[in-house]
Amino acid sequence: MTETAPTLSAQTLSTVVSQPKLIARNLDFFYQEFLALQDISMEIPEHKVTAIIGPSGCGKSTLLRVFNRIYAIYPKLRACGEVLLDGQNILEPGYSLNRLRSKVGMVFQKPVPFPMSIYENIAYGIRHHERISRSEMDMRVELALRQSALWNEAKDKLKQNALGLSGGQQQRLCIARAIALKPEVILLDEPTSALDPIATGRIEQLVEELKRDFTIVIVTHNMQQAARVSDFTAFMYLGELIEFGGTQTIFTKPTKTQTEDYITGRFG
Amino acid sequence: MPDSSTSAAIPNTPAQRMILRTTRDARNDRLFRWVLLSCAMLVLLALLGAVASTLWGGRLAFHTFGWKFLVSDQWNAVTGQFGALVPIWGTLMTSLIAMLLAVPISFGIALFLTEVAPSWMRAPVSAAVELLAGIPSIIYGMWGLFVFAPFLADHVYPWVNDKLGHLPLIGALFRGPPLGIGMLTAGIVLAIMVIPFISSVMRDVFLTVPTRLKESAYALGSTTWEVVWNIVLPYTRSAVVGGIFLGLGRALGETMAVTFVLGNAHQLSASLLMPSSSIASVIANEFTEAVSPMHQSSLIALGFLLFVVTFIVLAIAKLLLLGLARRGGTE
Amino acid sequence: MSADNIWLYRRRRAINLIALVLGAAATLFGLFWLGWILWVTLVKGFTALGPMLFTHSTPPPPGAGGGLANAFLGSLIVNSIALAVGVPVGIGAGMWLAEYAKHGKLGGVIRFLNDILLSAPSIVLGLFIYTILVKVVGHFSALAGGLALALIVLPIVVRTTDEMLKLVPSTMREAALSLGIPQWKVVMQILFRSARAGVITGILLALARISGETAPLLFTALNNQYWSSNLLKPIATVPVVIFQFALSPYAGWHALAWAGALVITLFILTLSLLSRLILSRSKVTHD
Repeated sequence: MTETAPTLSAQTLSTVVSQPKLIARNLDFFYQEFLALQDISMEIPEHKVTAIIGPSGCGKSTLLRVFNRIYAIYPKLRACGEVLLDGQNILEPGYSLNRLRSKVGMVFQKPVPFPMSIYENIAYGIRHHERISRSEMDMRVELALRQSALWNEAKDKLKQNALGLSGGQQQRLCIARAIALKPEVILLDEPTSALDPIATGRIEQLVEELKRDFTIVIVTHNMQQAARVSDFTAFMYLGELIEFGGTQTIFTKPTKTQTEDYITGRFG
Repeated sequence: MPDSSTSAAIPNTPAQRMILRTTRDARNDRLFRWVLLSCAMLVLLALLGAVASTLWGGRLAFHTFGWKFLVSDQWNAVTGQFGALVPIWGTLMTSLIAMLLAVPISFGIALFLTEVAPSWMRAPVSAAVELLAGIPSIIYGMWGLFVFAPFLADHVYPWVNDKLGHLPLIGALFRGPPLGIGMLTAGIVLAIMVIPFISSVMRDVFLTVPTRLKESAYALGSTTWEVVWNIVLPYTRSAVVGGIFLGLGRALGETMAVTFVLGNAHQLSASLLMPSSSIASVIANEFTEAVSPMHQSSLIALGFLLFVVTFIVLAIAKLLLLGLARRGGTE
Repeated sequence: MSADNIWLYRRRRAINLIALVLGAAATLFGLFWLGWILWVTLVKGFTALGPMLFTHSTPPPPGAGGGLANAFLGSLIVNSIALAVGVPVGIGAGMWLAEYAKHGKLGGVIRFLNDILLSAPSIVLGLFIYTILVKVVGHFSALAGGLALALIVLPIVVRTTDEMLKLVPSTMREAALSLGIPQWKVVMQILFRSARAGVITGILLALARISGETAPLLFTALNNQYWSSNLLKPIATVPVVIFQFALSPYAGWHALAWAGALVITLFILTLSLLSRLILSRSKVTHD
């Protein structure tokens, strides 16, 4: 199926959206000699939520981690092929990592607030990228907290240590921290797998609101979640992209049997 | 940033500022990494420097006496004859006594702390044993000289001399005037000093034994002792030996406590009740008074020997302990 | 159950009981020495404690009157130099090991050698500084003493920094780096902040260790009977003064040695209790 996958996704998408934000072309990824991603080609549309699903070990997190090259901090990992962000190949050695990461934010499975106050958690990243006045910073922090639906809960304890927040609040703080930098793309790596159902619901609601301003890619092992929040869904299996299309199509009329088996719970 | 302050030379578009910041970040990252690497190299340098400088400082002695430096029992500042046999003998004997005493006791403590003691007792007792490791060696030395040695001289050594001194073979080890200070006293004080090191390593490695392994042995009706002897010890053997070597490394290099209670005698003597000297105590006692270059060089040469021996012992200890850490990691 | 089996069973029970009793006895034995040594230090130290201990310098023989003021100042100076040199270098090396050399060969070698340096005989470190500094410059100095002690501080700080940074979850690194923050800032301002409590504990333990160290000071800082704060001159330190006075024939000096021993023992016990407290409190906030 490798020869059909790329053309398929491009065709389906071009009819739905005008502009792909992030394009992967013939992307391979290696852990030392082990081929973890094989010939991935897909186009992620702007201002939409794209979900990546698949059984664990299928490479979905690996793919996400290529999009902001966070894998580069570990030795012996490498990616071949092209990943275009607004037409520029981010895998090229000359492409600045810091610049890439200020454009492509990431939120991880477990919330990791920095060991500092709630305010500082957000201001810290901004301060590195922009030189702004104190009042402007206050506004940016407030905006980020409002966008991540944390403002009402956090506004009275901005100076308190972020480790005092609940798990769900911490995760929203991590989202606030990422969007405070005004990125263009936000990568969410199983952002609710460590949270309870209520906190999960809030995050999902938030994702829905955020897509107005950002392009969102979410990795999840929870198919219902993918169905609820995403506009497009990619199904991966054993390091390959099996099928990519509108979420509704994937969940109702998948073209590949593997996708269907996975969606109906026959394996995975 | 207010635009009025920008001139032609200062980048004023966001893109330009971004490029400038990116290059600056990259440069700082390289600088940072380089600074950290040089710090790490200083660790390497400290160790190599200690070996090289003592070898260099001792070259006069090594060159003059050659191998005889290791086997001669002459140590005479007046005639300028220096041989390291007595300090080497003293170092080895005191450490041997220390290990003979400390290993079983440390094993007992580790056994008690991991298998016997009720759980509320474990943390405070471990902490107390570790406090023993924190007491500076000079305090052990003073206590040994002013309290322990007189106690031994009055109450223990006369008895030892009477009862053990006449035994065949080992009698010679225990014959002598009850001076209080001597190799046996130094060995005992060293044992007390290394017990906390050995017992805490043993306790830690005993705790790495998987509970299911122990539980399945208990389920077969084994007693606590049988579990420790047949399951825990075989499982942790190399690491336990590593802990013992760690203690041995400490004992060999210990200076102050030994200097206080060993005397500073350069006669070779079979009796453990007699004063002797160790490598470290000779250096501590004589270095600042060594006026002749040969005397000083011989002392530094002793330091080199001590360093090489402890290096080997500690390296063995470390390798044995690493083995367990690796196995622990894979399971 | 046959008679043989009962006998075997009893024998096993008896062996077990003996072993456990011996284990408990060994523990009591270990604690007994701790109690004895602390008791002697307390009693002899308190009886020797006088108002002049902190206000007067070391007396000439036979040592009536006088105090250890110059030795306390000297220890303060020498220990400060040791920390000022050993802590930053140690933190830097520890950061390198944890952040840049987690799996590399050179990292493994340095980690290994650092652990050996941790237990290396301190007297040899004194000889090292003597040959490269004292002998070259031509005289003993407070600075040389501080550098010798820095070699003891160094491996302790390297090890705790390395271990504490390794405990910081790798997701923290990833989260910070994915904000586009350069690595040096991530390490210094975020990861180190998470590891700070542990590193402070390590520094306190290093201070405890060098406060009682005598051997490396004998031929680096030497000793000085008078009040001195000159870094380039020999200087008195508490452990060396204790050593000198304890081995002297004078009762007055003995008393001062015990008073000094009491003060450093209390200081060291306080430091180790403090470090335990910091560590246990930081564990609570991490969860």
